[in-house]
Amino acid sequence: MFDRDTGGASIELRALTKHYPGQPAPAVDHVDLDIPAGELVVFVGPSGCGKTTTMKMINRLVEPTSGEIRIGGEDVLSLHPDELRRHIGYAIQQVGLFPHLTIGQNIGLVPNLLGWSAAKTADRVEELLSLVNLEASAFHDRYPRELSGGQQQRVGVARALAADPPVMLMDEPFGATDPITREHLQNEFVKLQKQLRKTIIFVTHDFEEAIKLGDRIAVLKERSHIAQYDTPANILANPADDYVAGFIGADATLKRLALLRVADVECGQQPGSANLPQIAADASLREALDVMLAHGTDRCGSPSGVLTYGALCEAVGTEPAPAPRLQSVGSGSTPVRTAPVPDAARGEAVGT
Amino acid sequence: MTTATLGAGRPRSLGRVPGLRYAITPIALCGVLLALYAWLGAQNLDSIESRSLTREVLFAKAVEHIQMTLVATALVVVIAIPLGIVASRARNRLITPVILTVANLGQAIPCIGLLVLCTFLLGVGFQTALVGLVAYAVLPVLRNTMVGVQQVDPALIEAARGMGMTRGQILRRVELKLAVPAILAGLRTALVLTVGVATLGAFVAAGGFGELIINGLKLNRMPVTIAGAVLTASIAFFIDWLGGLAENLLKPRGI
Repeated sequence: MFDRDTGGASIELRALTKHYPGQPAPAVDHVDLDIPAGELVVFVGPSGCGKTTTMKMINRLVEPTSGEIRIGGEDVLSLHPDELRRHIGYAIQQVGLFPHLTIGQNIGLVPNLLGWSAAKTADRVEELLSLVNLEASAFHDRYPRELSGGQQQRVGVARALAADPPVMLMDEPFGATDPITREHLQNEFVKLQKQLRKTIIFVTHDFEEAIKLGDRIAVLKERSHIAQYDTPANILANPADDYVAGFIGADATLKRLALLRVADVECGQQPGSANLPQIAADASLREALDVMLAHGTDRCGSPSGVLTYGALCEAVGTEPAPAPRLQSVGSGSTPVRTAPVPDAARGEAVGT
Repeated sequence: MTTATLGAGRPRSLGRVPGLRYAITPIALCGVLLALYAWLGAQNLDSIESRSLTREVLFAKAVEHIQMTLVATALVVVIAIPLGIVASRARNRLITPVILTVANLGQAIPCIGLLVLCTFLLGVGFQTALVGLVAYAVLPVLRNTMVGVQQVDPALIEAARGMGMTRGQILRRVELKLAVPAILAGLRTALVLTVGVATLGAFVAAGGFGELIINGLKLNRMPVTIAGAVLTASIAFFIDWLGGLAENLLKPRGI
């Protein structure tokens, strides 16, 4: 249906507007957005800001009042809505698995609507179940109510992927799961997307989730006005205005650390690194800082050498304070926000 | 009505022994019929009574009664399920109250009065009885169809739309499938109601066990009335039992 070279297709929104009859103001007001093919863009904003409405206009579950939508260059509004939706993956928070159909039938539903042969559908279902880490033989013939919430979510993602759509829309798909399951699903999903490179629009009100999953984040204000549209690192480093800064919260620097991996930072070779607390190469710098704080030290050992507190500061673009200034922290001359880190470093310095 | 409630009120604890739960009703019915047979045999039946209670008469009345019930229920299915679907659609919200009012009237108007009115239009006989029965039994099926379709989780409908199912596919493959238990429950109620109301068919010469009851009352022959009443009740119980079996067999797996 859509032109596509790789996994995904680009999406363009032009002056997209939804004005519900009888409402004084439009729910979505002249949104312009370009989403490059193969990227995961997170719409993040408070409840009622129009992010879900904006997303639902893309597969025309909500008909736009005016504006244009192009997927892979093709005008979406000229296509038949039902036909269009069969080529766009859709996953929602409530999952919406059909209780009277088996897991296999649920996943095979869109291929079935598209008229795939039974054999092709069966192969695809098996492939997808293993893709979302569910054993095909164990789950294929079970019914949704026999699955845990996390397993149902995986089936929901598999079902959205069934017909290998270039574009996927996901409306808080992990929102209803407990924090542990959610984190697990997010990690798996990041891996999956690295492999698939679909164009994904992901709606959430959880900024942490947006940072973790998004190639880009669109921070939305009321009526779906885009406050900032950039990569997570840029938004954290340079929030466009107070609204965005407020949405990020007070720990922007820690969040930036969370985005970086130990392997991304240059680790110097130093003697005696074997005695330091160790951190894995794929751990985030935030976790590295946690290890340093927990051990009262300003350095920890990584597989490629020694990671220092100074390297963390450089990674987020701040100058590591020289050692003598650290001593003055206790007198309150340094902003409170940075106090815990130098404190720990000082403890180490004093102790040795 | 009582039979429906009694049927539904089977002790839950017996559910643990599969089969036993389903065996209770037929066993009890056999017991009741045997008791009726023994009791009638012990009476000194006069010529009117024995002529009303021959095997041939009873068999013919049973056939008439069941025929009336089944044909009426078949008509109810054809009328009430589509109407229930129409009434369940949000965009039909203007006609939904009209449909429901008419269906309510069918049950609220005394059936005997309706039968008498129909006699003026259609004369006496099977068709006239059917009109009354259908009018009476439409409501439970219509209402249950409507509610069954409406109670489907909106998230499922949204998921179905998001996957590109057409309205017709959503209705056939999701909404109606999930409404099956409710529709079957309504149908079971309708069947039991119809068995009871079919006794009134005797007033319009449509036959059935109602004839035994009425004749027994008119001629002051108690055994005949009792035989008619007990047999009618037995059919109601039996049909309710069949309905219960059907509900379990036809209910989609997974819900």
